[in-house]
Amino acid sequence: MAKFSRRRLLAAAAPLVAAPVAARVALGGSPPPHDHSAHAPGDHAGRGTASRSLAGHEGSAAGGHAAMIGDAVPAVGGPNDLDALAYPPEALPYQPGRVREYSVTALDRELEIAPGVFFPAWTYNGTVPGPVIRATEGDILRVRFVNGGVHPHTIHFHGIHPSNMDGVFEIVGTGDALTYEFEAKPAGFHVYHCHAAPLKKHIHKGLYGAFIVDPEEPRPAAREIVMVMNGFDTDGDGSNNFYTVNGRSFYYARYPIRVRRGELVRIYLANLTEFDLVNSFHLHAEFFRYQPTGTGDVWEYTDTIMQCQGQRGVLEITFSNPGRFMFHAHQTEFAELGWMGFFEVEG
Amino acid sequence: MEAGATTARARLGWRVWALVPVVLLAIAVALVVARGGDIVDLIGVNPPPADEFDVRRVEFGPGEIRILVRNPQPDDLTIASVTVDDAIWPFAVDGPTTLGRLRSSTIVVAYDWVDGEPISVGVTSSTGIETVEEIAAAVETPQASARGFLGYGLLGLLVGIVPVALGLLWLPSLRRADARWLAAFMALTAGLLTFLGVEALFEAFELQAALPASLGGPGLVLLGVAVAALGMTFLSARLSGSDGAATGVALAALVAIGIGVHNLGEGLAIGASFAVGELALGSFLVIGFMVHNVTEGLGIAAPASRGRPSLRVLAALALVAGAPAILGAWIGGYTSSDVLAPLFFAVAAGAALQVVVEVGRYVARTSPGGLRSGFVVGGFLAGVAAMWTTGLLIA
Repeated sequence: MAKFSRRRLLAAAAPLVAAPVAARVALGGSPPPHDHSAHAPGDHAGRGTASRSLAGHEGSAAGGHAAMIGDAVPAVGGPNDLDALAYPPEALPYQPGRVREYSVTALDRELEIAPGVFFPAWTYNGTVPGPVIRATEGDILRVRFVNGGVHPHTIHFHGIHPSNMDGVFEIVGTGDALTYEFEAKPAGFHVYHCHAAPLKKHIHKGLYGAFIVDPEEPRPAAREIVMVMNGFDTDGDGSNNFYTVNGRSFYYARYPIRVRRGELVRIYLANLTEFDLVNSFHLHAEFFRYQPTGTGDVWEYTDTIMQCQGQRGVLEITFSNPGRFMFHAHQTEFAELGWMGFFEVEG
Repeated sequence: MEAGATTARARLGWRVWALVPVVLLAIAVALVVARGGDIVDLIGVNPPPADEFDVRRVEFGPGEIRILVRNPQPDDLTIASVTVDDAIWPFAVDGPTTLGRLRSSTIVVAYDWVDGEPISVGVTSSTGIETVEEIAAAVETPQASARGFLGYGLLGLLVGIVPVALGLLWLPSLRRADARWLAAFMALTAGLLTFLGVEALFEAFELQAALPASLGGPGLVLLGVAVAALGMTFLSARLSGSDGAATGVALAALVAIGIGVHNLGEGLAIGASFAVGELALGSFLVIGFMVHNVTEGLGIAAPASRGRPSLRVLAALALVAGAPAILGAWIGGYTSSDVLAPLFFAVAAGAALQVVVEVGRYVARTSPGGLRSGFVVGGFLAGVAAMWTTGLLIA
């Protein structure tokens, strides 16, 4: 008498059979089928937690997204932990031939990407995404790469450069080093990532980052923010368990990004999510201008853009209203698995 | 005096010597605990633990989902993140967050689930391994309430006591039957008990297989069967006359006990399946169980017909055989009975099969023509066939 076969047969047969009084009495203890859906929304919160003294989150289903703000949000770390990744170094004025030096080391690190969830990552300089690399068009970029990981790695920059600086053929073994040197061009917003095989593994483990090339004619002054969209497949089944911007799920829901009303906010947005075909960015209650790849003169005016893996672009926002505004992937699944945050607009 | 002291010393001696292997084992265990890692180092490295949870039960309350999880592996396992339908959700843990071997905790998630729709819950360990449990249809889990208690009680009454009592009403008819026909009905009793025993044994193995390996395996079933069979043998000896064979009311009592422990498991299976939304308790099912179990009453009536049981004794027999269904429904409905269920079915199998032996001995002694008479063979087959046929109603 297996439970499931019983269920199938009886669920189908039960309505066909006239119920004798005795059987109806037996079923008297079960609740009417749609009973709970009649509860008022506020009803759930109290019943869920009041009767029990549980340590932990105060969040409730009825609170919806409101419950996903502040300390109730399951996000790791302190308020300024991701500042180095989110706020890029200053753009330097155009000065052809100037040398910009960076040092990047591949390190194997166990990263806490959601509260209590540790991911055995391969990183550039210990973080996922790696450090923001910034140069002005015409600069000579000199990146010294040391492989401190146990697997061979490279750095493959998007942009225009010689074949032997492309990070595809010159594989850097464990303990080895290589200096990538080339002129930073074209102006725009690019990415860099490891190109050792198997590529899928080397990228989803965390070897990627943002690469800004500022144009000869500087962009208008703005509050600049870098956002690298990614995912983490923590159980190795070929699909992501957590989605983030800048490496920690729900981080900007717990610590909203502070901006001022009326100021220009510029976001360098890139997608390095493995496994999923696209990722996206949606801003609530406001529109922005979007320049794909940060190049060219075509700007789209919208509140939602989408990027394939490796695609990136520049967003410019001027908030019209003060208050708290949500931003997230418009793939709701990604949003609810960590790719969601808020702007706190002051003034 | 001298001889007495020697005997005492000898008696003490064998006990002391018996301790030697135990003490040496303790020393060996201590050595392995202290230096066990050295052996692994000589060979290679241990694979990482699976870090998967054993989801024992998922309950739905108003605006709330409760997930009872167990750690099935030797290494500690930490609850780090919880998803509902692929969305990370804030949660609280009633119990420890880091679970030692075979320890359980209840995860409580405030969630506005949709009645009757499929839902999945995921529990992610600190190492990022996600264990997902799919629920075919979310329905509110019955909570302990006077109403629910009464409901399960009535259910047990209907599928347990009522059919057995009805079956006992064959008693006046059986009293008037001649010896050959009575032997046939006794054989029928043996047939239906054999059916119940086999069915319970199969169910026990099936339920046991769903448990984590660290909770026993088939040995758990053997334990239940052995305890029940030996317990029934002991009871049979106590109830039997000086000739060592149970007859009349004593044999009826044994049959009633065998059926009773079976109904305990059956009530538990019904209660548990209903509580977690796997079983639709249609009137068809209740009727099915009633028809199925009427034959159990007949099985008790057959041996009782050769005694002179009072009405009170008959009522007691009906209670012994039928009432455990009520108890089982309560246990199944309100507790996580994942270990109890296979054990109960194993006990039922052992008891039923032992009673078959008792009934067989009785039939062999009293049947005209012995065990090979057409009435006995036909009766036994009729018993199995009756159980199988009526079993189709609840299959």
